[in-house]
Amino acid sequence: MRHAGRALLVVVMLFLVGPFILICLTGLSGGETLAFPPDGLSLRWVIRVFEIESFRDSFALSLTLGIGATLIALILGIPAAYALVRYDVPGADAIRNLLTAPIIVPGIIVGLALLRHLVIPSGLGVTLALFLGHTALLIPYAVRVTAASLQNLRADIEDAAILLGASRIGAFVRVTLPNIKNGIMAAFIIGFITSFNEVPVSLFLTGPGVATLPVDMLLYMEYNYDPSIAALSGLLALMSLGVVLTAERLLGLSRYV
Amino acid sequence: MTNTRRAGLMLVAPATLFIAIGFLLPVFVLLSGAFRLESGWTLSNFTDFFADPLYREVFFRTFRLGLTVTAVAALLGYATALAINDANPRSKGRLVALLVLPLMISPVARTYAWLVILGRTGFLNVALTSVGLTDEPLRILFTEWAVFIGLLQLFFPLMVLPLISSLENMPRDVIPAARVLGASWLAIFWRIILPLTREGLVVGGTLTFVGSLTAYVTPAILGGSKVLMLETLLYQRVSVANDYASAGVIAVILIAMSVATNVMLKRLATARGGR
Repeated sequence: MRHAGRALLVVVMLFLVGPFILICLTGLSGGETLAFPPDGLSLRWVIRVFEIESFRDSFALSLTLGIGATLIALILGIPAAYALVRYDVPGADAIRNLLTAPIIVPGIIVGLALLRHLVIPSGLGVTLALFLGHTALLIPYAVRVTAASLQNLRADIEDAAILLGASRIGAFVRVTLPNIKNGIMAAFIIGFITSFNEVPVSLFLTGPGVATLPVDMLLYMEYNYDPSIAALSGLLALMSLGVVLTAERLLGLSRYV
Repeated sequence: MTNTRRAGLMLVAPATLFIAIGFLLPVFVLLSGAFRLESGWTLSNFTDFFADPLYREVFFRTFRLGLTVTAVAALLGYATALAINDANPRSKGRLVALLVLPLMISPVARTYAWLVILGRTGFLNVALTSVGLTDEPLRILFTEWAVFIGLLQLFFPLMVLPLISSLENMPRDVIPAARVLGASWLAIFWRIILPLTREGLVVGGTLTFVGSLTAYVTPAILGGSKVLMLETLLYQRVSVANDYASAGVIAVILIAMSVATNVMLKRLATARGGR
């Protein structure tokens, strides 16, 4: 039984992690087309990734979008989480359901709805719709992670601060906020990664020269069969791992997921 | 209304209004469009959609893939979760980390790796032909198999992680106790492990099933236009044909399935937990 269990774990982990190793090796290929084993090792496709202009633009957009949308989601989500945990809000259950709706609605529908009923009729830019869609998607995470940190914090330290003469807002900013700082940073990282990797919401929200990086990769691979996407996938995987491992070390990210 | 209730409402208002107006309203308008034609309210968009054999096939394929991925992930997931739960704490931590890390990596990158493995000149075909198992390269890419493999790998961690945490909450000695009393492994699984980990199975099952039904990236890369699922069909109808009627119908189907599965499975979990 023990041996069978161990063998199973090896197979399962190979199934989960093996493809990454292969894609990193393929990205280091020296050949012209996607093949395994790669045609010699070289960095040419890794360098090529940085030369493709649309990848540079879409990377910049995804980065701005990830940071911007997560920040707005936190600014909206932290007060909501605070009220839901600390106050007796009328209709709290309905509000909770509403605030988790973006997780349940499939992303592609959100993207299409924003395109048809916001971008096209109003003439607003696609970029604004991207920020809107991503922010809505991230609010549930912001609320949930912040609420979890607030629940672990005693409410009476805030009352103590108020008793000692702090205003309600002052007590929140100087007592509560520093205590849930790690939770908020964890929410930021989870939000950023979610937005950066998100495809369905962003799929329809593209325009001339505007596409998020993962959508741009999908568009590129429709017409190209070279190792550059493999190289870029490897780079992105390493980037995500770097962010997550750093966050784990500094914040203990896994406590908040 | 007391002061704190008013303050609470004011604090939840921005996020709530943002989601209600910026998110739910456009989605609602889109969904209601599926029930309309210029002549007024109608169900004819739905009857037209299901009259088309190709669309019906896509509909059933999406369900079939969702169910098989969930079933296989659950079976493999229990075996994996039990094996991980048995490991010593140190290797357990590492194994859980190996399950979590892929979730942080772009699904496009994760799925693209299978293109490299399953393609005609991919790893698998090179390996199979070089040991002489096949003469011709196998055609796996752009079949349901490829989509199945991709979805299974994508959602497997989401099935296993909740199972592991329910196993952790299970009293440690129930299994040895049952064995001492002579229960078979099948009986132990069916009568002890399954009821005690139901909640984890429900959470993992919902995430996997809804995730597979509403997947876009995996069928787009590994299935292409040969193995359409509902989301890739929706994208194709809009981007190729401007066919918003079919798109609206698919949107209604997707959202109904997602909401129904979430509500139903939540009920199931709480109904059992309440006893």
